Amino acid sequence: MTTYLKLAWRNIWRNRRRTLITVSAIVFAVLAAIVMQSMNRGSYEVMIDRMVSFTTGYLQIQDYRYDDETSLDNAFFYDEALREQVLAADSRIVRVVPRLETFMLAANDVSTRGSLVFGIDPDKEEAFNQISSYLVEGRFPGADEHMVVLGSGLADRLQLGVGDTLALIGQGRFGMSASGLFEITGLIEHPIRDMNNSVVFLPIRPAQELLSAEDHITGLLISIGQARQTNAVAAAVRQALDDDELMVFTWPELMPELLELMEMDLAVPRLLTLVLYVVIGFGFFGTVLTMTMERLREFGVLLSVGMKRAHLCGVLLVETLIISVMAVTAGILLSWGLLKLIDPIALSGDAAQAVEDMGFDPVIPMSFAPDQFFIQGLYVFLIALVVFLFPLVKILRLNILEAARS
Amino acid sequence: MTSAKTSVMTIVRTESLSRVYNPDTVPVHALRDVSIEIDEGEFTALRGPSGSGKTTLLNMIGGLDKPTEGKVFINDHEISNMKDGARIDFRLHNIGFVFQHYNLIPVFTAAENVAFIMMLQHRNKREIQERTDKLLRQVGLGDRQDARPAQLSGGQQQRVAVARALASEPRFILADEPTANLDTEAAMNLLDIMEKMNREQNITFVFSTHDQRVIDRARRVITMVDGAISQDETQHQS
Repeated sequence: MTTYLKLAWRNIWRNRRRTLITVSAIVFAVLAAIVMQSMNRGSYEVMIDRMVSFTTGYLQIQDYRYDDETSLDNAFFYDEALREQVLAADSRIVRVVPRLETFMLAANDVSTRGSLVFGIDPDKEEAFNQISSYLVEGRFPGADEHMVVLGSGLADRLQLGVGDTLALIGQGRFGMSASGLFEITGLIEHPIRDMNNSVVFLPIRPAQELLSAEDHITGLLISIGQARQTNAVAAAVRQALDDDELMVFTWPELMPELLELMEMDLAVPRLLTLVLYVVIGFGFFGTVLTMTMERLREFGVLLSVGMKRAHLCGVLLVETLIISVMAVTAGILLSWGLLKLIDPIALSGDAAQAVEDMGFDPVIPMSFAPDQFFIQGLYVFLIALVVFLFPLVKILRLNILEAARS
Repeated sequence: MTSAKTSVMTIVRTESLSRVYNPDTVPVHALRDVSIEIDEGEFTALRGPSGSGKTTLLNMIGGLDKPTEGKVFINDHEISNMKDGARIDFRLHNIGFVFQHYNLIPVFTAAENVAFIMMLQHRNKREIQERTDKLLRQVGLGDRQDARPAQLSGGQQQRVAVARALASEPRFILADEPTANLDTEAAMNLLDIMEKMNREQNITFVFSTHDQRVIDRARRVITMVDGAISQDETQHQS
């Protein structure tokens, strides 16, 4: 085995320049693919994190009817026992955040606007999405205070500010009338523009009283360590819940349009990566083809003196894999270093303003998700295996005498 | 010169060997009904003009090619009907090859080229090392073990090739034009080594050659013309 490895290793360096060019080409492809993917995924990870923390959560428990009919009538009973049960379902669950959500009319003394009202637990919400960091004025009310925080867009439209009174008018659970006056304690610049123009936060207990929904919530958001754990944790929670009326949804199920948008957006980088690998694949193939054809006579001699075809194929496979391993390792290390160096890329000018307008920081963050590194390595190994088919077929069909004459 | 054979044990036997290339298009009869026996300890040259069939016969005996008709026996094992894998294994343990162009593995040193054959035979490390050392000393290259083929002269490379051919302790060695690319001094030196091994260790050598220097040193000379044996004679050495 050592001799075969030695033979493969030395064969690779028979033509040092050619090997280095091939390795460099693969390194470049791996580097370009990883950086491209890292930039895209970095942006998407921030976007997803932002979206799920302010809207659905990575996972959300709802009454089974709520998804079809978004009504307070389909809120569900929530108490400490349920909270403990969910937290115990999987160790990867970081926290659970209850919300009571409904549409109401928000009014000042002369005008009315449609609004999205969230009854929240201010402390849990803060831990979940650091919502207070978006306050532009005032503060969040305490858990039992009958006070509200408005999106700054909605406040502008209603020409209200901190200290003013907001009237909320709507329908509570099971058709009960719901209306109340609330002092505005703060204004936030909500990172999602549509929500900034419509959102009203109030503590969950006053919200439950207002909406005749004591001890009820419309959604229990589940926060987990990493987005890629979503499905596994969802399965664990489903198994732990012994209530047929409660369902566990993942964020792609709750926001399929976001996932589709991202998939569409990723199509171009994926196509570019594919083209890159096809080009590199042909370069790799060219090297292996040359390495094979220029050694046909040698192969003929090796078979003549008693080397088995399978062992000769093994040596060539090892040569192909060594080139791949060198290139992939170098590509991953270089891309890791480069990503560390450039993370995050700060935007400036109009681009920065446009991103800020969408509620994001004006930077392009890099993703360091391990799978993007391994997957690029896997692609190169797959290419190596495809490329290896040529020497494999050549050796299995090699006529010793013709090879010796070549 | 006589045509008598004085050997004890037959190593190579061919029966009515024929080889036709391109049988369906333009048939070329490379061998026609060749039957020979080569005994242990012979030092035999196959001679003849280009296209006479000597290399084809050598390839048949070496199990590198299959006859169109006829049979090849090595030590009573018929190799002409063996499958590819079995023939490779048979060659590894029974036949040594020396090629016109040396055909050493360029990335291996002289010692590694010799040791490689024994590694294929799964011999233990110590035995491989000792035998490699011994063989290279026998061919006069004890001090060039770590040299790669490119660092050796043609004559030295061919001597490494002889050591490699002997490494597997084969029944006999087939040498295809072994001196064709060597100058007179290197050729005579190589022949001295092979002759010495033949006399002292009773190793059987079969050459295909045009080289009169080889023919003069052979004890048996088989002359081929148009794929058939035209003469088979034993020479007495002075």
